[in-house]
Amino acid sequence: MSRPASVYRELRPWLKLLGRRRGRLALGALLMAITAFAGIGLLALSGWFITATALTGMLLAAGIAASLDVYVPGGGIRFFALTRTVARYLERIYNHDSVLRLLADLRGGMFRVLVRLDGQALSRRRASEWLNRLTADIDTLDSLYLRLLAPPLVALLAILGLALLIGVFLPLAGMVAGAMLLLLWALLTLGQAHLGMAASQRRVASLDRLRSRAIEHVQGLAELSAYTGLATHRRRLDEHQQALYADQRLLGRRAALGNALVGLGVGVTLLAVLWLASLAYARGVLSGPLVVMMPLAVLALAETLGLLPSAFTQLGATRAAARRLNALGAAQGAIAEPRQSVPLDSATPRLEFQAVSLRYPGALEPALEQVSLRLDAGQRLALLGASGAGKSSLAQLATRLIDPQAGRVTLDGEPLPGLSLRELRGRVGLLTQQGELFDDSLAANLRLGAPQASDPQLWQALAMVELDAWAEEAQGLATRVGEGGRQLSGGQARRLCLARLLLAEPRIVILDEPFAGLDAALAERIATRLDDWLAGRSLLLLCHHREGQPLAALGVGDWIWLASGRVLTAGSE
Amino acid sequence: MEQGDAALTQRRWLGRLAARQRRLIGLSMGAGLFVGLATIVQMALLAGWLSALLVDDAAPKELVGLGVALIVVLALRAAAQWAQEVAGQEASLRIRQAARAELLAHIEALGPVRLGGRHSAALGGQLVEQVEALDGYFARFLPQLRLAVAIPALIAVLVLWLDWLAAIFLLLAAPMIPLFMALVGIGAERLNRQQFAAVSRLAGHFLDRVRGITTLQLFNRAEQASAEVHAAADDYRRLSMRTLRLAFLSSAVLEFFAAVAIAVLAIYTGFGLLGYIDYGPSSQLTLFSGLLILLLAPEFFQPLRTLSQHYHDRAAALGAADALVALLNVPLPKGGAERRPSDGESGVSLDGVSVTFAGRGRVLGPLDLRIAPGECVALAGPSGAGKSTLLQLIAGFVDSDTGRVVTPAGEIAWMDQRPLLIHGSLADNLRLAAPGASDAAIERALEQAGLGELLDALPAGIDTALGERGAGLSGGQAQRLALARVFLSGASLVLLDEPTASVDDDTQAALIEALRALTAAGRTLIIATHHPALMGMAGRVVRIEDGRRVDEVMS
Repeated sequence: MSRPASVYRELRPWLKLLGRRRGRLALGALLMAITAFAGIGLLALSGWFITATALTGMLLAAGIAASLDVYVPGGGIRFFALTRTVARYLERIYNHDSVLRLLADLRGGMFRVLVRLDGQALSRRRASEWLNRLTADIDTLDSLYLRLLAPPLVALLAILGLALLIGVFLPLAGMVAGAMLLLLWALLTLGQAHLGMAASQRRVASLDRLRSRAIEHVQGLAELSAYTGLATHRRRLDEHQQALYADQRLLGRRAALGNALVGLGVGVTLLAVLWLASLAYARGVLSGPLVVMMPLAVLALAETLGLLPSAFTQLGATRAAARRLNALGAAQGAIAEPRQSVPLDSATPRLEFQAVSLRYPGALEPALEQVSLRLDAGQRLALLGASGAGKSSLAQLATRLIDPQAGRVTLDGEPLPGLSLRELRGRVGLLTQQGELFDDSLAANLRLGAPQASDPQLWQALAMVELDAWAEEAQGLATRVGEGGRQLSGGQARRLCLARLLLAEPRIVILDEPFAGLDAALAERIATRLDDWLAGRSLLLLCHHREGQPLAALGVGDWIWLASGRVLTAGSE
Repeated sequence: MEQGDAALTQRRWLGRLAARQRRLIGLSMGAGLFVGLATIVQMALLAGWLSALLVDDAAPKELVGLGVALIVVLALRAAAQWAQEVAGQEASLRIRQAARAELLAHIEALGPVRLGGRHSAALGGQLVEQVEALDGYFARFLPQLRLAVAIPALIAVLVLWLDWLAAIFLLLAAPMIPLFMALVGIGAERLNRQQFAAVSRLAGHFLDRVRGITTLQLFNRAEQASAEVHAAADDYRRLSMRTLRLAFLSSAVLEFFAAVAIAVLAIYTGFGLLGYIDYGPSSQLTLFSGLLILLLAPEFFQPLRTLSQHYHDRAAALGAADALVALLNVPLPKGGAERRPSDGESGVSLDGVSVTFAGRGRVLGPLDLRIAPGECVALAGPSGAGKSTLLQLIAGFVDSDTGRVVTPAGEIAWMDQRPLLIHGSLADNLRLAAPGASDAAIERALEQAGLGELLDALPAGIDTALGERGAGLSGGQAQRLALARVFLSGASLVLLDEPTASVDDDTQAALIEALRALTAAGRTLIIATHHPALMGMAGRVVRIEDGRRVDEVMS
């Protein structure tokens, strides 16, 4: 039983999430059960009615006085017919609403997890891959209730109700039907889950592999066709496709087995009930209409049971999705808030790296090795080196987007993990190389830096980076920047990010290639304005070379060369 | 292959794909029809049993024969049901395989240049997701389409024979069937379209936030952004519920008719059996015929209900086919130039060639160029002048409209700014260029490309695994790896497109050194570059402007 237990353990956080909407989900299941019972009632009562009328009719034809109340059963039949339709309609509406609510919970909850991840975890995948993975996994989980929880529960209720209905008139038949249908239920849920577990768990991973091969094939078309390697790579792609389809074939066949089993199992149960009822009729303990009602009621159960096999054959996919999302959630420990944060005394603290080493997972070489350096209060220091030298890693360390594997980073001697993230990131501001903008207005993007900033303050920040004239010509502060800032040129986007950072008023300012893509005159003008703004703050400027950078205008006096994750030389003017 | 038919439509493409697996789809339909027949027989046996027991006063022992027959029918029905599903699935698997192969062949035939406008990750995704989205249509919808007509027709005929008035109740619903289908179909299609638009809006919002996650962290906006994500998803819920309420109504109508038909038939049969109805055939009704009519009534509507459940499969397939057919409709190049291999030499000779791109006009030529074996030629000129196109023409990625192109037969070594890195080991990555290369040859090639030091530092050596798209390698290392491929391949002609454009100074110097070694080894090098040092090492610099040769400098 270790296996079902581990499935439960993996699904537990998600079941708990469902538990928060317990009332809604119970009502949804109830509507499903009403639909199922109305279906059983419709067929069973109709069978009873026809038989009763036929037998009464025969008596009448034989000249024997007989009577049958046709209005109550007739009304019952109409009631069940209407109930089934209305209940199903309401059930579908209500349950889809529940599922969409769950989806919102899941998305919001997952984002909350994501936003706490450190840079290492985030850098492993590109944003679009994150999105695909997350949305696919979340979608898989949002069917947990509608496919895996409610239907088996309703089927179980229907089986018990049916056994009870038959048992009232013929206890033995009720017990036999109950036992056989419970066995069938177990085969269709646990049995199918077991049959499909391994293959369905592999589903997403196999698809991912096939996708990455397909992307390689398209991306590398030039090299593959030049080196006449298309056929070889195509074989690799085909192998992945074969593996994927072998699993699909297996799962399809096993689900088909389950579907066939529904008809067979219900049919055999029907036959057993029919046989017992016939014997009871022959003994004179059961009336004719009831003999007909029993097998027909069993027959109506097929629809409820028919939902189970394909859902449970794919249980492994849900399990794998839950496991991946759980792993993601577990990774949040990486950047943890301290239990008790230490307050900082000085406004502009001293930033110090003490023998820090950093290695990205999967990287062939370390990103930083035993790097020590210091940025005193008010100091303006340039960090120079080729791309990959480790500059950006140091910037990420200073803002705790990453924690080092060895050594420590301190503010006024206090290790960063002892400070609250809010305080740390309020003090240390970082302009990253990518400069991320959101598909929103200029004002909304700027106010990320300072939510309370007034419009004049926003305009002032835009003026610092010479975007004010451009914004006035566009739709002012309401100008949309487009997806990822695509409506802006690269240089405009950089400047907007810089303006946003200025509004946040950090005391220690880290600028990663702030002037990339700007012409020298503009860079010089912006640097001059920054020089005033920087009074009382510390600056760490990250760039490739000293040439072409407005270092003098920025008042940068000291510089340090980095190469391959090590400090090479230091100097000052 | 799809040339000739001017524009392929999604429906025609889906039809052509289905035609190739006609047998399996037919088998699935046949098995489905058998399931329908077996169901009818099963119901008849059940009604026969009950009628014999209750009307003819048969002892239960006399009914054993019927019981055995019932078991046999149940078993056959289960087997046929299994066969129906499995055959449909097999057809879908083969069709998806064929569709993917057709798309890949088309992409390969188009070549890297004509695909240039498309995002390769999106295209790769299309090859996987959108082809998979065809599944339900072929596996379930298509076989069910005929069954949804055939099985109700079969049942209607049987009921007609049993009691024509009862059949009329069913047949009154029958003309409604196309109406239902249209209703359900319109609902499903609109639903699908609207949902799709809403989903992509929601996905866009989510992606936007995920992309900017670092910024949100840096500005302490994590909590607020999470709440926004939740709010956006909740908005989406409210929007889609509006559509869903309407869409579910169409299937509810179908459900309603099915339930009402059962109720009406039960009441009609009951009243007929009681002798309350004097009109029509109802005086001939027996318990057997009455029960059988009742049992068949739900089965009359079942195939249609199944079809409506699979309707979203059709909508999904049409949506996917739409995008895939757009790709298949990108015309294949049909160059007017003569292209032939040079006889055993690595030289290149171009006579009066010209290349036009749709929408951009002529980007190259008319141009003549002769490059002798062993020569090192640099192509210089402003960006957009046609240097890359010239390389692509020599590599065979694009065709010339006119003139004659003579290039070496067999493989060509190619290297551009964004080298291909595959998921696999270092050795796997190199063997793309030479599948049969020995480990020693691979190590030597890595050394020649300046990766010897890195290799020594790796405990697993050339078996070190690289992540997806070369995760773990720096940009410079990736470029050197592409260079190692050039060394490893025996190709005598080496084409390099801006090999030093995006790497640091150290790598640049190492690359130039390595290229010198290649020239010294007698290979023919053609390099499109802006880099003065690369031009310096070339024996000849050909300047290209506006697609024409304007100047040539020998060094």
